[in-house]
Amino acid sequence: MTSYVVRRLLYAVLTFIGITIAVFALVHAVPGDPITFYIGAHGAHNLSQPTLEAIRHEYHLDEPLVTQYLYWLRGVLRLDFGTSVVDHRYVTTRILEKLPNSVELNLIAFLVAAAIGVPIGLWSATRSGRPIERASAVLFFLLYSLPSFWVALLLMELFSVKLGLLPTFGMTSDEYLDLSAGQKLIDHARHLVLPVITLSYAQIAIFARFSKSALTEVIRQDYITTARAKGVAPRGVLWRHAFRNALIPLITLLGLTIPTLLSVGVITEQIFQWDGIGRLYFVSILTRDYPTVLGLTVVTAVVTLFASLLADILYAMADPRVRFEETAP
Amino acid sequence: MKRDSVSAMTWRRFQRSKLALGALAYVVVVALIALIAPMITVDPNAVDIASRLRPPDHTHRLGTDDLGRDVLARVIHGARVSLTVGLTATLISLLIGSFLGAIAGYYGGAADWLVSRLIEIVLCFPFLLLVLGIVALFRPSFITIMIALGLTSWTTEARFVRGEFLRIRDMEFAQAARASGARDARIIFRHLLPNAIAPVLVSASFGVASAILIESALSFLGMGVPPPTPTWGNILYSAEQHLEYAWWLAVFPGVAIFLTVAAFNIIGDRVRDALDPRSES
Repeated sequence: MTSYVVRRLLYAVLTFIGITIAVFALVHAVPGDPITFYIGAHGAHNLSQPTLEAIRHEYHLDEPLVTQYLYWLRGVLRLDFGTSVVDHRYVTTRILEKLPNSVELNLIAFLVAAAIGVPIGLWSATRSGRPIERASAVLFFLLYSLPSFWVALLLMELFSVKLGLLPTFGMTSDEYLDLSAGQKLIDHARHLVLPVITLSYAQIAIFARFSKSALTEVIRQDYITTARAKGVAPRGVLWRHAFRNALIPLITLLGLTIPTLLSVGVITEQIFQWDGIGRLYFVSILTRDYPTVLGLTVVTAVVTLFASLLADILYAMADPRVRFEETAP
Repeated sequence: MKRDSVSAMTWRRFQRSKLALGALAYVVVVALIALIAPMITVDPNAVDIASRLRPPDHTHRLGTDDLGRDVLARVIHGARVSLTVGLTATLISLLIGSFLGAIAGYYGGAADWLVSRLIEIVLCFPFLLLVLGIVALFRPSFITIMIALGLTSWTTEARFVRGEFLRIRDMEFAQAARASGARDARIIFRHLLPNAIAPVLVSASFGVASAILIESALSFLGMGVPPPTPTWGNILYSAEQHLEYAWWLAVFPGVAIFLTVAAFNIIGDRVRDALDPRSES
């Protein structure tokens, strides 16, 4: 187990270096003067030549690319992505401000998707081949094919504009500060409903599909046949032997779901004006605030890297076959 | 011989699903409509301020947008953008993915290790964030969007091809080619790749669906094919501005995206089932 974890960690370090090289290369593949990344295209026009040279020197832009990369990497390791072109505050500070809002939204969406998707998936695996199972499989495909921004628009149109049941956007109402603690909680929860639905409906389909195929796979195994042959009741076979083993592959969803949630999060947070990192990313793109864009790109990639590392290790702990298969040539 | 019988069997099993045939027919019809779009619609960019935001009636079957442009014409022309971007981006990712997957699966060892690490790196980036970032850095256009999508979505194809190569690289026909002195490139592209392509088509079908979805999201966010070119995403963008009174702007392009994406997903799913020998029972 230790050697497996050590190898995974080494790979993670390599992947991290790869991520930083990819982002750095992307920036330098863009035609034009890289100085505009640090002070904005607007800023470069208004400054005198000596000032520009000074800035170039400050950001090490007058050095070879490899040296520039190492300087940048040193910054990344210290969580220093420079300052925003828009308000000149540290990119890291700006990200940390918005992060809790996104964590809250994504966590709730993740839990909702798992709580609905997994039971449906397991249930439909036990109904394999019957009309109801086939119908639900098609339904999940359709759900998965719905564009999230369209769903968001329709939800807004229906629940906010037509029925007036839920707030259109934002995280709290205008009069939030005057409310009592209980009212505050309800007010915030009402603002959460539509963004959570938008983020989780496709994930429900993914969770259901994934857990269905996991359980179908388990039911085919010899030990299930053995349990049946021993005379364990069908219900007992499912609960005691099949379900628990079918849940193990779901660990991998941890690494797969997080980048998807972050992707859909950009759209969801933008439409519902949820003040998280997805919205920060999009606004930074519109304002050409490249230090923030790059910082967020690296941060989200590293978060995904950690999640899949964690998933790999948990999986190996739960299912020892994984770490032996890996070592086999 | 063998290849023919596998594809014939796959087609026979694919046909059993009415849903899959419906999806295939839908895709063919949409492609044809997109092809002849200029012949069957009015000018999608003809501005008519006097009749802006009209609900559907007999002159404008799907209503007009905020500049008085015919929504039906724009939705039909939008199919051209969606299908072109979807298919071209998938072709790019197929080329990159098959090449890297073939190298990794055929040579194994260091090549395999390197390609696997590369896949891990690409998968760490949230897909939409990466595409959005690339498109914004290089300015949004038809070409940048297709390249950005192609460059970021080849990992599934690469893994499929790699897996197939690992399975078939030591089969008799490959050994025979090697024994008769064929070079590696010939074995890879002439002998192995044609036999590894079937599962790749499954991922290509899912790939088109995902590319169409992302393209429309980019357009919706104002980072897609620049206006006035009609796209399903940018009609929805104007729908967002007039949500209270112009429901037709929100409904029709959304239905178009949904049906097209669903059709490609269903085709991919049923081809996968048809290819899976275990699904027969």
